[in-house]
Amino acid sequence: MILTAYRVEMSKVFSKWRTFIGFMALAFLIPVVVIAMSVEGGKFLNFATQGLSQNFDINGNLMNGYAVAFIILSSLYVHVPFLITLVAGEVLAGEAAAGTYRVLLTRPLSRSTMVNAKYMAALTYTILLVACMAALSLGLGTSIMGTGDLLVIRQKITVIPVHDLLWRFGFAYSWAALGMITVASIAFLCSALVENAIGPIMTTMALIIVMTIISAIDVPLFDYVRPLFFTTHMNGWKLFFDDPINWQRVATSFSVLLLHIVGCFVATHIVIRRKDILT
Amino acid sequence: MPAPIIEISHLAKHYGSFQAVRDLNLTVEQGDVYGFLGPNGAGKSTTIRMMMTLIRPTSGDIRIFGLPLHENRSSILRRVGAIVERPDFYNYLSARRNLELLGRLSGADASKSNVNRVLGIVGLGERAESKVKTFSHGMKQRLGLAQALIHNPDLIVLDEPSTGLDPQGMVDMRDLILELAHDHKKTVFLSSHILPEVELTANRMVIINRGKTIIEGSVQELLNAGRLKVTIETTDVPRALEVLRATPNAEWIQSSTDQEIIIMLNRQDIPPAVAALATAGVPLRAVTPVRSLEEYFISLTRESA
Repeated sequence: MILTAYRVEMSKVFSKWRTFIGFMALAFLIPVVVIAMSVEGGKFLNFATQGLSQNFDINGNLMNGYAVAFIILSSLYVHVPFLITLVAGEVLAGEAAAGTYRVLLTRPLSRSTMVNAKYMAALTYTILLVACMAALSLGLGTSIMGTGDLLVIRQKITVIPVHDLLWRFGFAYSWAALGMITVASIAFLCSALVENAIGPIMTTMALIIVMTIISAIDVPLFDYVRPLFFTTHMNGWKLFFDDPINWQRVATSFSVLLLHIVGCFVATHIVIRRKDILT
Repeated sequence: MPAPIIEISHLAKHYGSFQAVRDLNLTVEQGDVYGFLGPNGAGKSTTIRMMMTLIRPTSGDIRIFGLPLHENRSSILRRVGAIVERPDFYNYLSARRNLELLGRLSGADASKSNVNRVLGIVGLGERAESKVKTFSHGMKQRLGLAQALIHNPDLIVLDEPSTGLDPQGMVDMRDLILELAHDHKKTVFLSSHILPEVELTANRMVIINRGKTIIEGSVQELLNAGRLKVTIETTDVPRALEVLRATPNAEWIQSSTDQEIIIMLNRQDIPPAVAALATAGVPLRAVTPVRSLEEYFISLTRESA
C-alpha cells in the first residue's frame, strides 16, 4: 500500500506547476553564474585572494569548475530552502486547504501510510533538487571552465588537489541533501499544523532567518543555544573541504540534523493521527 | 439474521462545551436506502465524518458490516464509497486522473475502461480529460459520486448529494441512487435536509436534531404518522373555515389570504375534510398538502412535547 500511495503522491507533486519552479530557478541561475565566472572569474579570484597575494605566489587555474561549484553551493544554499518549502510545506496543508483530505482519508489507507508516502514524496523532490544543483554546478562548471585544484579559505587556507576533490564534493552534496531534508521535515511538520499552504513556507523561512541571525550575533548567551540550531549545522558541508576533516564535528552536526529530522517526522505523525478533519 | 450494515450506538462528539452529536443511535440494514435527515447544523456531517474516520468520536460505538470501525478501518473503508460534504478534488488534474489516483488508493481497478465506465454512469464521459478546475459545482458533485463508486463498494454514504445540482441533475441523482440500490443491491446512506428527496428514494430514515435522534423508522410510516400542512384554495373562505372548524382532528386553521386557508391534518383526515367542504357546497380550487422537513420536524417535536 505504501508504494501505491507513494506513486500517487509523486503523481500529484509532479503535476503541480510550483514543483518545477525550483528546477527552473536552478536551471536559470547556475548557467548564469557559471558563464559569469568564466568571463569575469579572474577578477572575482583576485578580489577574494587580494589579502593573500602579498604573502603567497598564486599560480594555476584556480577559477575552475570545482571552484565555481563550491561558490554556487555556498551562495545557493541560502536560497534553496525556500524552493524546498514551496513543495514540502504544501504536501499536507495543500490537502487541508483544498478540502481533499476528505477524499484521501476516506480511502482504506491508514493515516500513517499517508504521512509516510507524502514524506517520501517530499524527500524525493528535495533530493532531486539537490542532485539537479550538483549535476548542473559540477557538470557545467567543469565542462566550461575545466578542472583544477581548489583553494578553500576558511579558518585556514587549504589547497585541495584535483584528484582529491570528487569524493569531497560527493560528501558535500550529500550533506546539502541532509540539510535540505531537515528544512523539508520542518516545513512538513508546519504543513500538518495549519490548513493553508502559505503558513508552512513563511514559518519555515522565518525559523531559518531567525536562527541564522541569532547564530551570527556574537553574544556569549547565544553560545549555549547555537549548537542546537539546525541552521548552525546545515553549513557542515564545508567541513569536507578541511584538511584533515574533523570527523568528530561531522558526527555531531549529523546527529543534530538527524534529531531534527526524526523529531519533526514523529511529531507530524502524532499531529496527523490526532487531527480531526474539519475542512 | 445478518448483522446490520451500520450500527451506531450512543455516539457523541463534543468540541469543548459544544455538543455537535449526543447520544445518536441508528441501524441501517442491508439493501436499505436510509435517509439521514435533519436541519442544517443538526450534526449530520459530523456523524458522517465520524463514520468515515475523519474525526474521532468523543464516545459511543460505530460498527460497519458488523465490525468495530476503528479496529477494522482499512477493511471496512475498502467496501465503502462516500461523498463527504462538498465535492473537492485535485483541481490541477483531469477528472480521469483524479479517479485513477483515488481508485488506486482504494485498491480498485484503475484501468481506463473502469474509469470510463464510472464516468459514463455519472454522465461525465465526455469531460474525462478536462481539468477539474473547469468543472461547475454540479459536475464536481457528479465526479464526487464517481469517486465513491470507482471501487464498487457495498455501502455508499452520500452527504447532501443533490446540493448544487439543477432540477434535471437532482432527478438524475435520485434515479441513480435507486438504480444502485435496486439493480446493484448496494446499501445507501443518504444524508439530506430535503424531505422530498428522502421520501422519493429512501425506505427507512432517521431524523436528528441538535445531534440527537428524534425518530427512526420506515419512511412511509413516519411520514404518514405526522400531520401535514394542507393549503386549501377557495373563493368562499368564511364558509370553508366554518366547515373545517367542525371537522374532527383539524388543527391550527387559519386563512393566510382572502382565498387561501392553511390547516394541519393527518394524511388520512384529508379526504373526509375535502368531502365535508364539497358537501357544504364550498367551491374548491385546489387542495395541496405541503410538507417540508422543517414543518414535519416541528410537528414531530410538537407531538413529542
